[in-house]
Amino acid sequence: MAKVEKELNGLRPDKIKEILDSMRDNPEVLKAVTGPWKSRVVWQKGFKAKAYMRQHAVQMDEPEGLDAQDSAASAHEQLLSAMGSCLTVGFVLNATLRGVQVHDLEIALEGNFDNILKWAGHSKDGNPGYPTIKAKCFVRADASDAVLKEIWKAAVDGSPVVQTVARPTNIVTEFEAVGS
Amino acid sequence: MSKAKLFPVTVVGSWPRAPWLVQALRRRQNGEITQAEFNLIADDAVLAAIKYQEDAGVDILTDGEVRRDNFYSFVVEKLSGIRLMKLSELMDYVKDRAGFEEILRAADVPSFAIKSPIAVDKVTGRDGISLDEFDFLKAHTTRQTKIPIPGPYLLTRSAWFEGLSDKAYPTREDLAKDVVQILRNEVIELKKRGCDFIQFDEPSLTQVVYGDEAEQTFMCAALGTRRDPAEELEFAVRLMNETVEGIDGVRFGVHICRGNWSRKEDVLLKGNYGPLLPWLMRMNIHQLVLEMATPRAGEIEVFREYKNQKELGLGVANPRIDTIEDPKQIVQSVNKLLEFYDADKIFLNPDCGFGTFAERCVNTPEIAFKKLQSVSRAAEILRKEHN
Repeated sequence: MAKVEKELNGLRPDKIKEILDSMRDNPEVLKAVTGPWKSRVVWQKGFKAKAYMRQHAVQMDEPEGLDAQDSAASAHEQLLSAMGSCLTVGFVLNATLRGVQVHDLEIALEGNFDNILKWAGHSKDGNPGYPTIKAKCFVRADASDAVLKEIWKAAVDGSPVVQTVARPTNIVTEFEAVGS
Repeated sequence: MSKAKLFPVTVVGSWPRAPWLVQALRRRQNGEITQAEFNLIADDAVLAAIKYQEDAGVDILTDGEVRRDNFYSFVVEKLSGIRLMKLSELMDYVKDRAGFEEILRAADVPSFAIKSPIAVDKVTGRDGISLDEFDFLKAHTTRQTKIPIPGPYLLTRSAWFEGLSDKAYPTREDLAKDVVQILRNEVIELKKRGCDFIQFDEPSLTQVVYGDEAEQTFMCAALGTRRDPAEELEFAVRLMNETVEGIDGVRFGVHICRGNWSRKEDVLLKGNYGPLLPWLMRMNIHQLVLEMATPRAGEIEVFREYKNQKELGLGVANPRIDTIEDPKQIVQSVNKLLEFYDADKIFLNPDCGFGTFAERCVNTPEIAFKKLQSVSRAAEILRKEHN
């Protein structure tokens, strides 16, 4: 008789644990999940761009206030979303490993630019990006507040996206003009 | 309509839920227990709510609405063709998502916590919306009874959602016809069974005049598209009058507040009742059940030009704070109204329920009890002064 795998939060806890253990025990698996992770962003027209990641594509644009078509979220909004998505994955992962049923989970993120005038070319100094990003987690789950806070902390501490944003990251840029 | 004594004390409806009751409610919503099994559990909570109210000296009781998820979405259990949907499930159908996001942030709530009954097919009644609640209440108290039900405007506005409802009801007006008929049947049956007071909850009327200008919102259960405020209020008056037309022998009230989902005063709506009164006075109901214990509700003076046209269910206790109102202060507030209103037109109640949303009750039973005790003491003082 086939073994029935139990499910929790739409995941298979045993399978997840097996995968996580293989990352620790199998160098090939660790290498594969370590990277490189890739994205190729292709300009379309105006402020529109499309990002291609493996078999996936995500459209980006800018708001109408910038004389764009606002056909998609802007890149910095998608950064917030990427953080929220990564935190979601981390929360569900840690909850599932602890056997906690999650009913609803929502993360609200926001940030204000420090000095957007630098982006606009009106200022040479300062940070055009977000100096602070707030992320508030709302969750309805079958666990005590203390346990859920631990899970949230594990999600934040273990989030590749959040930790990339939170730490100084070495960005290596290159440039090539093609043809004329 | 006669009443036994001056300044009757009543409640707006909901009572705080115990954690075991909320758990049982979740199990019922998840299909883990039946409605009958849930009702057996909830019976104890209703009996406790009745006892608290009786012991506190309340004259006109509700069952605490403790069987309900909230004051309007519970209808999904009682009607066919209507489904409880989270705002998070509706986001793909919302036209102005950015506007919704702003409201969510202002209210500091997640989208999964906002639920609305959405008409996804022809809406039909089964065994009534509140008849089982009423029968149980009536069987367990000798005092007068009040049943709060969602008003016709609230129900129509929250249930008609473009993209989901328009197959069964091309327009909101089409849905309104069925809603009015369902509520009429309910009211007639409640009256037949001996209900003393039927309260229509219409908090979204405040959103019409004081909400932001977004075309769509969910503040005060007002999910759905709104039009010009005057047009919306006219629509609300028409639906109310069609619902109660020709029915007498039972007291009808309309409850209007400015939101009761949070203890943070700054996220709730504010503004006096003035802009609503020309329309409310045209509703063929006896009483306006109002919140007046918070400064957000504005001055009582706005009722001067409409004096004695309707009974006022005066909100004299704020359900969202822990401080127990001093009976003497309540008496002072009522005396202000008595400068231009007759004593036999005034009922006393808290501003709103103590547990409007099962999972976000705004106070504990102990504090709710003390607040009602305080209101009752104020009523006793007032009766001595004015009999």
